Amino acid sequence: MLYEYDALSSRRVPDAVVFPETTAEVSAIVKLAASAGLPVIARGAGTGLSGGAVVIEGGLVVSLARMKKILEIDIENERARVQPGVVNYDVSLAVADFGYCYVPDPSSQKACTIGGNVAENSGGPHTLCAGVTTNHVLGLEVVLPDGSVIHTGASHWDRPGYDLTGLMVGSEGTLGIVTEITVRLTRLPEAVKTLLAVYDRVSDATATVAAVTARGITPAALEMMDGFMLRAIEAATHAGYPLDAAAVLLLEIEGLKEEVEETSFELEAVATENHARSVRTARSAEERDLLWRGRKNAFGAIGRLAPNYYVQDGVIPRTRLVQMLDYIGEVEQRFGLHIGNIFHAGDGNLHPLILFDGRDPEQRKRVVQAAEAIMTRCVELGGSITGEHGVGIEKNELMPLIFSEDDLEMMRRIKSVFNPQALLNPGKVMPSGKVCGELRIQVN
Amino acid sequence: MRGAAADIQTDLTAIAGDGSASIEPDACAAYAVDGVTPSCVLSPATPEQAAELLLSVADRGLAVIPCGNGTKLGIGAPPQRYDAALSLRELNRTTYYEPDDLVVSVEPGMTLGVLQQMLAGRGLWLPLDPAGGERATIGGILAANSAGPLRMRYGGPRDMVLGMKIATADGKIVKTGGRVVKNVAGYDLAKLVIGSHGTLGVIVEATFKLYPRIATRATWAIEIDSLDAGREFRRRLLASPLRPMRAVLLNASARTLVQSANREVTGSRRMMIWIEAGGSASVIARYERELSGLAAHMNASLKPAGNSEDAEVWKGLADFGNRLASQRHTAVVLRAALPIAATEEFLKRAEQHGRVEGLEVAGVAQLGVGAVEIGLSSIPSPEQRVPNPTNVEKLRRLAADLGGSLIVTHCPVELKPRIDVWGPRGDDYETMRRLKEAWDPSFILARGRMIGAFESGRAMT
Ligand SMILES: Cc1cc2nc3c(=O)[nH]c(=O)nc-3n(C[C@H](O)[C@H](O)[C@H](O)COP(=O)(O)OP(=O)(O)OC[C@H]3O[C@@H](n4cnc5c(N)ncnc54)[C@H](O)[C@@H]3O)c2cc1C
Repeated sequence: MLYEYDALSSRRVPDAVVFPETTAEVSAIVKLAASAGLPVIARGAGTGLSGGAVVIEGGLVVSLARMKKILEIDIENERARVQPGVVNYDVSLAVADFGYCYVPDPSSQKACTIGGNVAENSGGPHTLCAGVTTNHVLGLEVVLPDGSVIHTGASHWDRPGYDLTGLMVGSEGTLGIVTEITVRLTRLPEAVKTLLAVYDRVSDATATVAAVTARGITPAALEMMDGFMLRAIEAATHAGYPLDAAAVLLLEIEGLKEEVEETSFELEAVATENHARSVRTARSAEERDLLWRGRKNAFGAIGRLAPNYYVQDGVIPRTRLVQMLDYIGEVEQRFGLHIGNIFHAGDGNLHPLILFDGRDPEQRKRVVQAAEAIMTRCVELGGSITGEHGVGIEKNELMPLIFSEDDLEMMRRIKSVFNPQALLNPGKVMPSGKVCGELRIQVN
Repeated sequence: MRGAAADIQTDLTAIAGDGSASIEPDACAAYAVDGVTPSCVLSPATPEQAAELLLSVADRGLAVIPCGNGTKLGIGAPPQRYDAALSLRELNRTTYYEPDDLVVSVEPGMTLGVLQQMLAGRGLWLPLDPAGGERATIGGILAANSAGPLRMRYGGPRDMVLGMKIATADGKIVKTGGRVVKNVAGYDLAKLVIGSHGTLGVIVEATFKLYPRIATRATWAIEIDSLDAGREFRRRLLASPLRPMRAVLLNASARTLVQSANREVTGSRRMMIWIEAGGSASVIARYERELSGLAAHMNASLKPAGNSEDAEVWKGLADFGNRLASQRHTAVVLRAALPIAATEEFLKRAEQHGRVEGLEVAGVAQLGVGAVEIGLSSIPSPEQRVPNPTNVEKLRRLAADLGGSLIVTHCPVELKPRIDVWGPRGDDYETMRRLKEAWDPSFILARGRMIGAFESGRAMT
């Protein structure tokens, strides 16, 4: 029986929420909680999509929202030191005048925090060619569940010893609370070009993505939206997307002027070969911003179409895109649900959005079944159940789809080194062995 | 001794199957590490066999060191126990190749050269230029997270691995990550194993994301007079829109070393910057124009390297440490990791230190990366005196003063026990030690080389 997610959200009330401003305060709070045997859950902006910051059995929520100082910007060393509550976009904003940016740009970048990004190893449209969060973090300050403070990595590459930074990134707040982050900054490109390729058939758009990958063309970003999403977005954002298209690809190229010219020429040719109806180039910074605003506000736009939606985060080899989209179409039919497709196509990271009415328990049951069918198919095609949103409490019971008991055992050993009492973010990431079959996260 | 070794060998042969374990003295000697020769060489032919071997090693209370082609085996404290070399050379197959998805999985014994050759057939490559170059095995590159100057543009090995299979000390094969370019399911065990120098698990398969081969590449040389000029060049380069593939600065001694293998030494005492860029003809022309401008700022000129010279320079660089160590048996090779802006200053201070101590300092700085390789040897008769181990500590302090750290990658066997390879522990050391214990409770993997070393009382701090 599908659980009552509204009821559940009311059951998940923390015992207290604290807003520390310093590492010492975080450490003191964690120590206190440990001595009282209380769970501790770190929280950034709460934009996570896998229920990572959700309170399961009560406990203390440590909000990092007030630790939002950019502590140091060091352009010559291409790095910045920030507190975990700093909003992702603010880092790029702070260094833009120097001609730099912080690469990982989740669509939620105007709200989500660097601490949350580190916890989830977040990606974004521009991580296609430049790498996700883990590729842009040099060092961390971490408060362990016993209140001790450690410093992993450094403010440069290659500190001797194990790469604990690499292990912490993506650990979803289950190994420690990150209280400071040294990120790499990247020089802004000389030239940027944004293209919108318009298709009358979804399969032509996916075929274009496969061809771009196979030919080794590396755009900075390669996003896809289907017609259903386009119309929803256009109604909400007026981004200038064609209303009658079956799908569009949003492509961006960065680099030296010469490189951008050549690559955009190649991309246009591939799109045309794959029956793009038109390929439009953004002519101004405003037009470019508008195209991206549409993409980045897409989830919000869906709110106009259905009371609720459930975002998936599967990944597949890019050679399987056409097959996968066909399958999602089948799932839509089979379960009688609307599914919008919007995703980081260049990475093979899909975000099918399942629309439904959460007030209808029967629909909710179908949503869960549809989601599981999609995730299972991703795994069958050689992919993964999550590309960037994390496991959280949403997919922890699905971990055995991709990991054996031996694989999980090595992860558990790591967890027990850092978090032996499981007081830090309990019930997340690792499967508990309970049967799944319910919608475990609160949907929008 | 031989008897015990023969017992071990008999035991291990039974598991490994005929021919996959050897006690031949010559075979064993080839796998000596820091003067310690193993009694046996194990050469599993499959990942499963590797895992079974580990289990039986653990059961018998023995210790192994996973080995590839040995280009980076010098890195680490002397082993506290070393019964068998686990040679991964025969584990060298391609297990998955999807060129259209830019993904490949290979076993650890494959050399980078063989992999690159296979990838070239489909216009792809793995942009890595580790120590040891093409001879380096994939397993060794990952175990050492060995990145060369290409890291400026492409990142290092840790940034290219999508997934991995690891044989554990308790004889299991575990998987982490996958074969897709984005994946956040579960802890990133690969990050932990990459750079752990064989102390946590044995990499038995690694999956990489691939890159399209660059159509045309060009290398240029700029001769400069001082490290200050080098610093100025690096600053201007990083502040420009250019994104070269790699750039290095060699001091005069390093230049002689790297180039002497290929042709007559010019005898020039000047420093050299080598820089490589790739792209279409018009992109290369743009680089040439702008780099000429940058060189002119320092009253230097840009010289294109010829095609063959081009490749030789980068090859020579990848072999810098190994070549130095084999040419001068007294040489100590160090690797400093520094903030990007501190590289030239570190090299400068190291040179000063060398002048005071009567040591020759050969230095290669990877620009835009923050890595500096330093070869120390005594002058005027390089073959005779082993540098005093205090030099390592002095240079380590210089690196620390600039916000960096330093490890020893090559040093004479007799010096090793008196040298701290890794440097001071951080406040995260206890966590590292517990991770080692959690994954390898009997310390069968490279015992004492990285973590145990600190317990042996050998560490300086
Ligand atoms: C509209 C929308 C678009 C999105 N687009 C993307 C996208 O393009 N790419 C992408 O990757 N994600 C995306 N997300 C998901 C989400 O924004 C990211 O996962 C983000 O990194 C979460 O950051 P947060 O600050 O909101 O963290 P929260 O949601 O508050 O927390 C997430 C997890 O991190 C842990 N955590 C938070 N701070 C810390 C800390 N300091 N130390 C330790 N653990 C901590 C929490 O315990 C929790 O497990 C999107 C979400 C929305 C709503």
